[in-house]
Amino acid sequence: MAGVGMASMAHAQEKAKGTIPDKPFKIGHMTFFTGAGAVLGEPMYKGNVLAADEINAQGGLLGKRKIEILKADEAAGTDANTKEMRRLKLSEKIDMFMGITSSGNTPALGPVAEELKLLTIFVDGCTDFLFDKAVPNPRYIFRITNIQSADGSTCALGVAMTWPDVTKVAHIHPDYSYGRNCFDHFSIVTKKMLPHAQNVSEAWPKLFSTDFTPHITKTLAAKPDLLVTSLWGGDYVAFYKQALQHGLFSKMKVATTLALGAAPHSIGKDHPEGVLSGVHANYHFSYPAGNRWPLNKTFVEKYKAKFNEYPNFQAEGAYTATHALRTAVEKANKLMGGWPDDDAIISQLEGMMIPGPGGYVYIRPDNHQGYKDAITGFSKNVPDYPFPILDPTRIITIPIRNITAPPGWPKGEPTSTYTWIDQTWPTVKTA
Amino acid sequence: MDILVIHLFNALLYTSVLFLIAGGLSLIYGVMRIVNLAHGNLFALGAFVTASAVGQWFAGSTSAALYLLIPTGAFAAAAVGAALEPTLLRPFYRRPEEYQLLVTFGILMILEDVMRFIWGPYPLTATTLFEQMGSIKVGEFIYPRYNLLVITIGALAAVFLWAFIYKTRFGVVLRATSQDMRRASALGVNVNLVYIQAFTIGCFMAGLGGAIIVPGQSAVLGMGVDALVLSFIVVVIGGLGSLDGAMVGALIVGLLREFAISTFPELELAVLYLIAAIVLLVRPAGLFGRTT
Repeated sequence: MAGVGMASMAHAQEKAKGTIPDKPFKIGHMTFFTGAGAVLGEPMYKGNVLAADEINAQGGLLGKRKIEILKADEAAGTDANTKEMRRLKLSEKIDMFMGITSSGNTPALGPVAEELKLLTIFVDGCTDFLFDKAVPNPRYIFRITNIQSADGSTCALGVAMTWPDVTKVAHIHPDYSYGRNCFDHFSIVTKKMLPHAQNVSEAWPKLFSTDFTPHITKTLAAKPDLLVTSLWGGDYVAFYKQALQHGLFSKMKVATTLALGAAPHSIGKDHPEGVLSGVHANYHFSYPAGNRWPLNKTFVEKYKAKFNEYPNFQAEGAYTATHALRTAVEKANKLMGGWPDDDAIISQLEGMMIPGPGGYVYIRPDNHQGYKDAITGFSKNVPDYPFPILDPTRIITIPIRNITAPPGWPKGEPTSTYTWIDQTWPTVKTA
Repeated sequence: MDILVIHLFNALLYTSVLFLIAGGLSLIYGVMRIVNLAHGNLFALGAFVTASAVGQWFAGSTSAALYLLIPTGAFAAAAVGAALEPTLLRPFYRRPEEYQLLVTFGILMILEDVMRFIWGPYPLTATTLFEQMGSIKVGEFIYPRYNLLVITIGALAAVFLWAFIYKTRFGVVLRATSQDMRRASALGVNVNLVYIQAFTIGCFMAGLGGAIIVPGQSAVLGMGVDALVLSFIVVVIGGLGSLDGAMVGALIVGLLREFAISTFPELELAVLYLIAAIVLLVRPAGLFGRTT
């Protein structure tokens, strides 16, 4: 059966109730199509396209409304992006907004979407700040991929489980909100889990740099046991190539938050094995492997067939978001008949738990944030792929509720999760 | 001590590439009085072309062949420069500067999209040579040999350029045109030809910067805009239009950046702008700039 996957799971679903208009359902998809951010933006858009194709092959949403995607380039800048969101809603009459990569953009676009009453699922832009501060009581906006603080925490827990004897830690993070967030949450978790560990070096290269030699030299001079880095995309590729020639990997353990997350195929086989290789605490196409989670198998196969590359966490997020929308529309239709209004769709999205290629995603009703169990692992070369994947025998998964602030926890600085860890986690006793 | 040597190498590596980019920018401004905003993406083009040539098209070739392929990026940038000057820039020389800024900025954006169209959104690497050359021992540390090659090429480029401009007949014509275009023209200099040559050389330098650095780093979208901003800092410090200024500016930026990263990591970004601001306050035309 060709259409296996999420679209067919829905196919247990019978014909839609009532009269459904056949007007196309327009999604405005804004992400990075240009600049260095396109390494994340392109796969996001492709995930949306793949899901839309699946749904359209069944006739569209409720078998009638074909999904039409309008592209917008996030690289235009925050100010231009808010204008573009308004234009998409007011002139193009989009039914829904999707996308966004940068954490700098969701806090600016969230309030605008609320004001426009524009149904929105952000795929990324995962800063805790969005639902902590910018839009603490969201109505129209949702976000599907894991909250940012989960990334630094997952990395720190991976280190604590694997290398509990680490005492001297060095950091290299890109100097913007994501790098700061990773540093903060890695630090607070290590304070609890590895209380004897100390920071011996910090370096904050500019985002989208390609020369890391000074940062590597500084790190080597500090002689740490462990280097933690949240470099990603082209930055990480340039970094590890240079670090290899400086002998960095042979002198210390290395833990990363997003190394295999941005573009899995851009990392070469020369990348050392056994590096804690983060995937933004979200998804790597190689897990769950084989047919253990059929949704992932079919998703990866279809994505590879259509785009001739492997999906990253953004592709998985956009794909899942599109199917979350479809599921909400179908459920609302079953209850009320006809095309559901936005309020009905929203009430179905709130509290929804659906399976995506990476596992179950739960959309919390109070803050509209998607939660799925966090994952990380260790780089390994296998014959099946021309690039390293996560070692299938050493995957680390962490229940998301263990590393994110629960409903009802007061908003905090720098994030609610940070204060929650600081105030509620016990400190591990050292011998 | 060893670590100091490595810090110095790092600074010189950065200086070499910056000098090639900023030197080209300055040369073009010195001769033609055009601030070429597209310059950053000619650097990026050099990086992408060399990365493709070395890492994809001829990836299986012998290392000798790969070394010979490194300059392809520089020649590609020069070819684009040679095509751009007479077609898109020449019509605007008599217009106010705003037009030139708009046109060159437009070219910057078009080039960015062309590169994305050709090479896609993913980072491109071509590290075979970088890896093959291995590393030398510096005390207890090791340092990539390829980086030393980049420093050498940067230094050679500076020497050649100096000799070219101050010791050849073409250099005399170039300097004459730069000092007084009308009089040079009256004396029989083919100004159009000088302009296209100067612009091509400037673009060649930017492309060479991208071409020699890419085996040790990677080619990514957006690298051109970054390079442009950095080379502006260099020419602000050194003085726009002066090659000596570009050299000294690049050296100051390279050393300061290295110093900031190793001592005050959080100042890495700010320190370059701070020094540029100070130079602007004390010597608005830059250290080697002409005040006219």
